[in-house]
Amino acid sequence: MTDQAVSSASPRLPAVPGVAVALAGLSLFFALASPGFLTAGNLSNVLVQSVILLLLALPMTLIIMTEGLDLSMGAVLTLASLVLALIVVATQSLALGLIGALAVGLAFGLVNGWLIAGLSIPPFVATLGTLGAAQGLALVVSDGQSVVGIPRFVRLVYSGETFGIPTPILIGAGFYALFHILLYHTRFGTYVCALGGNRDALTLAGVAWKRLLVAVYMLGGAMAGVAALLMTARINAGHPTAAIGLEFDAIAAVALGGTSFDKGNGWLFGTLLGVLTVGVLRNGLNLMAVPSSVQVACIGALVIAALLVDSLRSTRS
Amino acid sequence: MSALMAIKPDFDTTSPPPAAAEGTPLFELRGISKTFPGVKALDDVSFALWPGEVHMLLGENGAGKSSLMKVLCGAYQADAGEYFHKGEKVEIGSPADARKLGIAVIFQEFSLVPYLDVAQNIFLGREFPSRIPGLVDRRRLYREAQAVLDLIGLDIDPRTKVHTLGVAQQQMVEIGKALSQNARILVMDEPTAALSDRETERLFAVMRQLQEKGVAIVYISHRMAEVFALGDRITVLRDGKLVGRARPGQTTPDELVRMMVGRTVDMSYPRNFAQKPGEIALEVRGLSSKNGIRDIDLTVRAGEIVGLCGLVGSGRSEVARAIFGADEVTAGEISIFGKPRRGGPDAATMAGVGLIPESRKTEGLALIRTVADNLAVAGLPKLFPNKLFSPAQARRSAEELIKRLRIVTPSPNQSVALLSGGNQQKVVIGKWLAAGTRLFIFDEPTRGIDVGAKSEIFALIDQLVADGAAVLMISSEQAEIVHVCDRAYVMRGKRIVGELSRSELSEENIVRMGMHHD
Repeated sequence: MTDQAVSSASPRLPAVPGVAVALAGLSLFFALASPGFLTAGNLSNVLVQSVILLLLALPMTLIIMTEGLDLSMGAVLTLASLVLALIVVATQSLALGLIGALAVGLAFGLVNGWLIAGLSIPPFVATLGTLGAAQGLALVVSDGQSVVGIPRFVRLVYSGETFGIPTPILIGAGFYALFHILLYHTRFGTYVCALGGNRDALTLAGVAWKRLLVAVYMLGGAMAGVAALLMTARINAGHPTAAIGLEFDAIAAVALGGTSFDKGNGWLFGTLLGVLTVGVLRNGLNLMAVPSSVQVACIGALVIAALLVDSLRSTRS
Repeated sequence: MSALMAIKPDFDTTSPPPAAAEGTPLFELRGISKTFPGVKALDDVSFALWPGEVHMLLGENGAGKSSLMKVLCGAYQADAGEYFHKGEKVEIGSPADARKLGIAVIFQEFSLVPYLDVAQNIFLGREFPSRIPGLVDRRRLYREAQAVLDLIGLDIDPRTKVHTLGVAQQQMVEIGKALSQNARILVMDEPTAALSDRETERLFAVMRQLQEKGVAIVYISHRMAEVFALGDRITVLRDGKLVGRARPGQTTPDELVRMMVGRTVDMSYPRNFAQKPGEIALEVRGLSSKNGIRDIDLTVRAGEIVGLCGLVGSGRSEVARAIFGADEVTAGEISIFGKPRRGGPDAATMAGVGLIPESRKTEGLALIRTVADNLAVAGLPKLFPNKLFSPAQARRSAEELIKRLRIVTPSPNQSVALLSGGNQQKVVIGKWLAAGTRLFIFDEPTRGIDVGAKSEIFALIDQLVADGAAVLMISSEQAEIVHVCDRAYVMRGKRIVGELSRSELSEENIVRMGMHHD
């Protein structure tokens, strides 16, 4: 049945069934297994809790489309969050704090991009290095302690409502729309696809692709900076291990969503579905009181299962 | 140099073709040189283009045609030389410079992005800005793409992703991409190689339209019929040098081939067909495999070269794969030197079978490894019986093979990717020699190999059988089969439909047997 759905779907949607089936199946399972899951309050909670992941998964989709990877996102988010917390506590200015967080993200994105595009270091190695650097710096600036005393106006970014809708959901929707336009309606988006698909084609078309590749990683860094604001508001502190490992969830969500690791075959809506799948899984397992470490294992198993389905499907066709 | 002397002396860059307007050429290259580490890709090449002409560029693989094209379109920077556009000196420092001068190139290796659609590919790097700053005007993009597709007569939706298209359609998209740049100078690298007859006709019609509009076309081809049917002038390159210019009416295919190779091509080097075949090396009875081949019976004896021919898709490679153990056998028997063959390719290798596959670069070699590594890889159990790898022993064995096969490489430690096609093929043959192979299966042994190196490969195959090996040779080049083989089997529709003895072996017989009769 799914096979037919795949072959009749347009070529851009090869993985719709996989990730959509996973999302529907998990939702159904948790609805039956846990009475608290299918309530308006909890579903809103799933969305709100998924926003930080979405903010990382959106640029991660673009990065993976260039046949790249950014392992440093979680650590950069953590460092940016600490810098934001320190600035806000000291100056009581959200704007200055956000500028600081964005500066941290952009700086790390620039370094990642320079290592990868300029020095041709494989993305896995380059961003593993900057992951270590960001994690270490996070411990240095925080001295291993949490930064507390976050003002209420910062907390409201995460817990507040705008037009009766939780603010984080609006932020997430806004950035999703922005990335959709960026990927499908601008030159930049076309070139992102070409960066993974055929760099020679860009060279022959007279496009300076190295600068573009740096820009893609800087976009990832900047989004880690934006996510740092939400993270700080959510945990009401700056914490030196706040988002360590979050890049794993982001890569998992992108892979679940059907973006392939080669040839620039990406799909942004699939990433959204992938993020929601990870969100539902985490939320449902929380409701069932499954420990966090087991949750990570479950996400890993889900990613492998989803990729297995995709590879079986492609070998059959 | 005698070939050079034979060329009419009246062709130099200052004489326009009769069809073209008098006066200065549209574009002129003077004294272009380009050196890569170890290779002089272009050596003082000059040539000129007049509006409305089709200028044929001939040469073997590696003669410098592709380098010349890449210099012309700005992808490579020449080390020396000058460019003149309508008589004025210009610089080409980047692809953008070339495009401004109206130069467009259709590459043989596609410059397409698989997961972008047809329209996005055609206008890559030239997207139309929308009224909203920063965005692409998608309606105009698809409208203009549709117009391009109409021009080249390609009936597909411009929103189709390129990776879902066949090779011929991708080639047409590539042509559309070049045409959409309103090129004044269009460079095509074997554009018809992947096209059907109908698409080829369509392309030639488009070319004629462009000629009438004064577009100059540089056309690289290996098909003599095209060279003489389409060309106004012909330039021949060899080893990065310009070796001759001619007009189609004043030369012959033989003369052009002599210029390309610089010596008379000798396909019929002496081969001793009278040799008595020895023991049975390969016997196949009633073989069927999962890949579709049915009821295959064939025999190859030591000291024989046996051809396996037929149209592409008739099942030749599948027979080779089944014999080598790469495809699952569903019925029948294969025996190698009298013993039934069981297991996969590793067992076949141990039994003395070696496969020289069609796609040398992906299946025959580990491209990133050295010549020595590649020469050792099949013979590891034989070279190192105590299961410990010894670099010195591997190097000794490699040096011996390099000498014996006359492989041209600066050292055994050279990356095999940097060798020419002919020398790469010798490395593949050498790796089986190291493994003690006595039954060689060649799948298209001369694919992608220079004319000159071809006869060297055949001499090598001849030497193998003279030394007592058996050879099964698959080839799409009937002339090769006729020149080289003792006998040949002809395949059609996944079956063997006939056997031709040495005396019956002719191109006509092969074609007649291999054709489908409805």
